[in-house]
Amino acid sequence: MTPEAATASQPFVMGASFWTATIIFLLAYALIISEKVHKTVVAIFAAALMIVLKILEQKEAFHSEVLGIDWNVIFLLLSMMIIINLMKPTGFFEYIAIKSAKLGKGEPMRIMTIFAIVTAILSAFLDNVTTVLLLAPVTLLIADALEVDPIPFLIAEALASNIGGTATLIGDPPNIMIASKAHFDFMDFIYNLTPAIIVVMAAFLFILKIMFGKKLHVRPELKQRILEMDERDAIKDPIMLKKSLFVLSIVIIGFVLHGTFNYEPATVALFGAGLLLLLSGTHEPHHVLAEIEWPTIFFFMGLFIIIGGVVKVGLIKWMSIEVLAITHGNMFATSMLMMWFSAVASAFVDNIPYVATMNPLIIDMAHQIWPHLQGLKLLHNPELMPVWWSLSLGACLGGNGTAIGASANVIVIGLAERAGKKISFIRFMAYGMPVMMLTVLISTIYIWLRYYILKI
Amino acid sequence: MKAKEIMEPVKETLTPKTTLKDAVNRMRIARRGKGWAGVKGMIVLDNGNLAGIVSIKDILRAIIPSYLALTELGEFTWDGMLEEMAKKVADKKIEEIMTRDVITVSEDAPLMECADLVVKHSLQRIPVLDKDKKVVGMIYIRDMYQAIVQALFDKEGKR
Repeated sequence: MTPEAATASQPFVMGASFWTATIIFLLAYALIISEKVHKTVVAIFAAALMIVLKILEQKEAFHSEVLGIDWNVIFLLLSMMIIINLMKPTGFFEYIAIKSAKLGKGEPMRIMTIFAIVTAILSAFLDNVTTVLLLAPVTLLIADALEVDPIPFLIAEALASNIGGTATLIGDPPNIMIASKAHFDFMDFIYNLTPAIIVVMAAFLFILKIMFGKKLHVRPELKQRILEMDERDAIKDPIMLKKSLFVLSIVIIGFVLHGTFNYEPATVALFGAGLLLLLSGTHEPHHVLAEIEWPTIFFFMGLFIIIGGVVKVGLIKWMSIEVLAITHGNMFATSMLMMWFSAVASAFVDNIPYVATMNPLIIDMAHQIWPHLQGLKLLHNPELMPVWWSLSLGACLGGNGTAIGASANVIVIGLAERAGKKISFIRFMAYGMPVMMLTVLISTIYIWLRYYILKI
Repeated sequence: MKAKEIMEPVKETLTPKTTLKDAVNRMRIARRGKGWAGVKGMIVLDNGNLAGIVSIKDILRAIIPSYLALTELGEFTWDGMLEEMAKKVADKKIEEIMTRDVITVSEDAPLMECADLVVKHSLQRIPVLDKDKKVVGMIYIRDMYQAIVQALFDKEGKR
């Protein structure tokens, strides 16, 4: 019996530990949403409580694949952060951004379109926050050079990064978590989600043109400022750049092939991080390692333990029974509910804790529908697949709905504010909400057509 | 020697609500000692209490866009950008751009303490406070150096 089956088949009683775990879970999520205390602090403390109050044994929290920290997710995130931290100082990303602006020939709408595409592609391989952090400064510079309002560009980038991140296993944390729990490989995402994202992206570019096309005009002499920039000046360390690109190609090839060779994505990324650290010839890895987004890493670790607690006491199972009562086991209805509920939820709350909760819920639900199935037969049941993809599409694209829906949005708004340009909650939503609605609608049609009509 | 023996009186100050443009003008026409050029820094007083200090560097920092400060994009700036940006931030309030954590010394501080602070924090000037934390003067790096010159040479430049 797989470990998953073991948990789900355990009976649960709504006793003292059930309520203790539920209260810790609810209070922690409420505090995270309220933003009164930093989410990482909440996650660490609540996770510690789960262990101190004997909801989880420490051994389960640290070492159980089902109830504890998902090290596959942690090491994938850590390794990608190390690779990016080593790559950042080479100037590669500035090079791409300046090159893109020049490709746009100083035409603001063309530049916005190219930036949106570049952001989406980079986000598919890097995390979204990193992508916008790398591109936003150049965007602000370009907007100043053209004397246009940078806000439309920044909003377009945030939205594009959330869309692009949905396309691959490593693009967005929800996908990393889903892949790890449901044992999907990189190509599963390419095969099932990338086509949807290509269509969504095309529609998004079209809306960008409608939303901003008429507003952006530039005096011809200002375009010259862009054309005079030499993107090669951005490259600060050509040798390290070559090493980085070499390692990055290995990592991407590794991702494409990891399923075939039975490696976890984290192994591929860890190998890349180790290799690039070695090639960088650094004697002082302190700096690179210190720049890792430790608050994010600890947020994940805390969340995994919190979720482990509520899985163990049966709260998630109880929730899955409630969901089944609504959908009556109809998998199309479940997919649709998953997509739209995830989208709306992710527009207002962090999609990471949301997906961390939904993953075990989907597994528990599947156990109840197909009690005789186990392991991959259960997780990759053809009827269950669209539910996973709906969760990913809903949770990732839903982040576009509001200013607080995704970390990329928060970062972009923060950078804009530092540059003296305030993006209000309402202004972001005026662009984000229609984009979210349209992209989720397209995803809905995609799921329906592909898995329920064409069945491919 | 002590701080109070070489400090100079503070004749002109700014307030937190002064605009950047006004501050630049005040610094331009102000005179220190027998000097003929403007001053390169001024303290900011809020109801008589030290609220901050503004130097040319603070003004430059206010003019440089945050995205440049965060990155290595300097090569991609253009001719006239500094002047353009200066005009854009002209109406900013001094409280937004001043250095708030001012390094100060007491009247009785030995010169060695002042010299140490100047080097540690790359300062040009240190406000001198009395017991009630009111500014009573300013020590400049040049005056400190003068004390060194006097220690090594007499008035005729011998020794």
